[in-house]
Amino acid sequence: MSSSPKRRQIANFLYSRPNVLLLLLLSLPLLWFGGVYVSSLMTLLLQSFFHLDDFTGQVVHEFTFSTYRALLTEANLRIVLRTVTMAIAVSITTIFLAFPIAFYMARYATPPVKAALYLAVVLPLWANYLVRVYAWKLILAKEGILTWLIHLFHLDGLLNLLLSLPGIGGSSLSVSTIGMFLAFVYLWLPYMILPLEAALERVPQSLMEASADLGGKPWQSFRHVLLPLAFPGVVAGSIFTFSLTLGDFITPSVLGNSSPFIGQAIYVQQGTAGNVPLAAAFTVVPMVIMLIYLAGAKRLGAFDAL
Amino acid sequence: MNSIAPAVELIEVTRHFGDVKALNAVSLTIQQGEFFAMLGPSGSGKTTCLRLIAGFDQPSSGHIRIAGQDATALPPYERDVNTVFQDYALFPHMTLGDNIGYSLMLKKVPKSERLKRVADMLDLVQLSGLEHRKPAQLSGGQRQRVALARALVNQPKMLLLDEPLGALDLKLRQQMQIELKTIQRQLGITFIFVTHDQEEALTMSDRLAVFNQGKIEQMGSPVEVYERPATAFVANFVGVSNWISGQLAQLLTGSAQSFVLRPEKIQMLDPNLPPPADLCSAMGKIKNILYLGMYTRYEIGLQPEGLLSVVEQNRQSSHWAEGDAVRLLWQREHLVMI
Amino acid sequence: MYIKLSHILEKLYSSIIVLLSSIFKFSAFLYRLWFRRLISVLLCTFLLLVNTGGAIAASSVGAVKKVGSGEGAVSILAWPGYIERGETDPSYDWVTGFEAETSCKVSVKTAATSDEMVTLMNQGRYDVVTASGDATRRLIAGGKVQEVNIDLVPSWNQVDPRLQNASWHTVDGKHYGVPYQWGSNVLMYNTDTFSQPPTSWNVVFEEQILPDGKSNKGRVQAYDGPIYIADAALYLKAHQPELGITDPYELTRPQFKAAIALLKQQRQLVSRYWHDANVQVDDFTNEGMVASGSWPFQVNLLQGNQASVKSTIPTEGATGWADTTMIHAQAPHPNCAYKWLEHSISPKVQGDVAAWFGSVPTVPQACEGNALLGAEGCKTNGADNFDKISFWHTPIADCGDGTRQCVPYSEWASNYLAVIGSR
Repeated sequence: MSSSPKRRQIANFLYSRPNVLLLLLLSLPLLWFGGVYVSSLMTLLLQSFFHLDDFTGQVVHEFTFSTYRALLTEANLRIVLRTVTMAIAVSITTIFLAFPIAFYMARYATPPVKAALYLAVVLPLWANYLVRVYAWKLILAKEGILTWLIHLFHLDGLLNLLLSLPGIGGSSLSVSTIGMFLAFVYLWLPYMILPLEAALERVPQSLMEASADLGGKPWQSFRHVLLPLAFPGVVAGSIFTFSLTLGDFITPSVLGNSSPFIGQAIYVQQGTAGNVPLAAAFTVVPMVIMLIYLAGAKRLGAFDAL
Repeated sequence: MNSIAPAVELIEVTRHFGDVKALNAVSLTIQQGEFFAMLGPSGSGKTTCLRLIAGFDQPSSGHIRIAGQDATALPPYERDVNTVFQDYALFPHMTLGDNIGYSLMLKKVPKSERLKRVADMLDLVQLSGLEHRKPAQLSGGQRQRVALARALVNQPKMLLLDEPLGALDLKLRQQMQIELKTIQRQLGITFIFVTHDQEEALTMSDRLAVFNQGKIEQMGSPVEVYERPATAFVANFVGVSNWISGQLAQLLTGSAQSFVLRPEKIQMLDPNLPPPADLCSAMGKIKNILYLGMYTRYEIGLQPEGLLSVVEQNRQSSHWAEGDAVRLLWQREHLVMI
Repeated sequence: MYIKLSHILEKLYSSIIVLLSSIFKFSAFLYRLWFRRLISVLLCTFLLLVNTGGAIAASSVGAVKKVGSGEGAVSILAWPGYIERGETDPSYDWVTGFEAETSCKVSVKTAATSDEMVTLMNQGRYDVVTASGDATRRLIAGGKVQEVNIDLVPSWNQVDPRLQNASWHTVDGKHYGVPYQWGSNVLMYNTDTFSQPPTSWNVVFEEQILPDGKSNKGRVQAYDGPIYIADAALYLKAHQPELGITDPYELTRPQFKAAIALLKQQRQLVSRYWHDANVQVDDFTNEGMVASGSWPFQVNLLQGNQASVKSTIPTEGATGWADTTMIHAQAPHPNCAYKWLEHSISPKVQGDVAAWFGSVPTVPQACEGNALLGAEGCKTNGADNFDKISFWHTPIADCGDGTRQCVPYSEWASNYLAVIGSR
């Protein structure tokens, strides 16, 4: 009983100072976030300004830009270019694939159909990522099911034409960049569908009717009304697909022609070569790319609704 | 194009959603230049009817003609019809100028002309100079005007308005009623106006249709519909009515028919004064007095039974009190047989 | 493309410099402060542990003089499959007996790569590590392992004399470990394609028409690891003697450049590099691969699957690996560690490990009379190939003669990455 007035005092104190209460509630997650995320990121950044002594193989804790200079070699820029190109291609393709599905889910699907579609979209995410990548390796293999199917429909000529394309072809789908691209598109499609569906759902039907009413043919309404309004969803989805592709090192190591991606370069520099500073500098690359990407998206007004 | 052709014709138009018949074999003709109101409670089919005319929806059966041409299967963007939406449906990502100029932009009207016409429209709806605002920065009334301007900029033959004043407060609504009417006169185009507010329909329209359960109960001028309601539903939905049937009808008219009598058509007189010879009369007692500002409503218990509402303008302060005996008087022609 | 890109990046980079250098100055200061504290904390813990360690104080200066009684435990950092206590298969157990005999309780931590091993050795408190040749020199140079007094390992004399003074564990005449097992990389080939075993590595390095009449392009593989540069160097050693390559792991710049050029040429032939043994098995099964540098492990696995593959060691020789059991410089249980060293080269253990792992014992005696290995076991695992093998050891800038003209491992890694990325 005696603690009751004291408790009330505390309660009143907190009630009259909502900021203190907020601080108390946020302090733990903020400490976690600051301690674990921000500080480790800072340490990483710091590491990239050290360099590896080639003779001893030890990291020299002195401020230098030589690691970044080492990053700017042609081979490394190729890696960056290759990764970014793939990320862009995957993002654009997933946008095109996800849009009709998301549009159908948001506009036309009845609640049970919608629930089923949601489940169908999310279901693959429950299966282990490695299993799915290796499954694609088997599907795309020279003696895999896809080649067999293609043969069954007498489309070998088309496949060979596709595989003979310079740069993205290969001796089979599994070892070609096309195969890796297919797996990436498969892997990240759900991450595009879900935000896109949410964004499309928020565009009132009456806006589309208004556009048609004012003389907008379907594609004009799409272009001038639906797309700009669903754009935040496209950006949100592509942030996922883009950054996931930028960071992945498993898919490019299982599929494709072994040409390294940023993730693999980091893995090799850190794990095999023991060159932590260069690995850290490599890690900065996708971060910078994402910052540029986000700045571009902001310019296009993707975050105006936030 | 034949200028005498009606603006819109609906021929036996039915629209059902599953088992529900939102519109049931409705036929309707609206002449060019008319201000036509579709009145009815929610779910009566008036909005469905409007959407069919706009082309947002297709009839399950029947035909729609616009300006004499079959438009049943025409998509909205090929109809020379524009709509003001209930929620205004302004494009939130565009400025007012872009919203209003949207249809011109789609038609590839040169920019200079587009800007001029947008400015003209803003003038018309008294929002000059606000081209660069976004819809979110406007008040409800302003948004309503923008929606109107956007629908009119393309000079359509016909304007559809779906409860356009529903979200406005009373003062603004009354002001807008007058403005809409003025604009319609000024431009001389057909207005089709959907509302559930009977007063709005009466004040604004040249002609109106009263919808109920997917059918038109009555169509005619506001005076016709008000003064001579065709059905009990119209009588009750449009204005307030005394419903006279059965024993009460027997008592008051000597007939077994049902009648409607508008409360303001009834006069109250001191029972001691002699009744004028050419008027119908009945005796009663004031049961309730409701003071409503502009007028007062009295509930009169008749003898031996029955209840009638009477409305009197408060031209001078009332001298009636509850419990007073009164004589009620009305003209025979105000008794509308249903 | 590259010039433009680098131009843009350089501009970006110079603007970032201004921003970051100011942040850096402050945080580097904090970092150093924090780093020193960490070191001092670690030192204190270390001293405490050493003092309770018992009989002898371990130190990197000089070897231990005598082995005392066991401390009751020994922790081993090893490759998976190297230390078995019969949990997978009861007949493969070389730990339980040791524990009963010495009262040193064995705990095992496995590492998947040499680099992981080095990292764990740098951070952890292990007594013993089974390090491959590409890790040993790093551990020695880093002062993470201590000199081994071979007089305290009675069975030392039974170790294959060719391995007793191997350069990957012997520096300046000092021994830093006891050889454990070795094995050879092989040229795996498809017998349907090759009626005769290929005699040269050129089937994977040079574009050519294979015996089945089709080009080798897209049908051969190579290892996805920087150490594979040594395979190219080994090939060049035989085919371009004017380069003067003696040790494929100690390459001068011109030699290294030639090896990289060869690998870039190979890149055109290789549709996918292998880094995971199971992936290679899959590629030989499903992707129509016919030849690749490989390990006996994959050959055995594929033969077990009835695939028509065999392995050979071409005339140029092959690279291979030799592992050494080493003792941590600050081993908490040095006595037990020495006892394990002795145990690890007993013929029984050597034979059992070889049978389990598919490797070759470092004690020739182990090849005879081991039930698990069988009479032909050592031969099957490649015991006769010793002279053809260039064993993995870490490339460092020091060419072994004190000059610093060799290409260090970090450059091997970057350059090999560039090779694979060059297509």
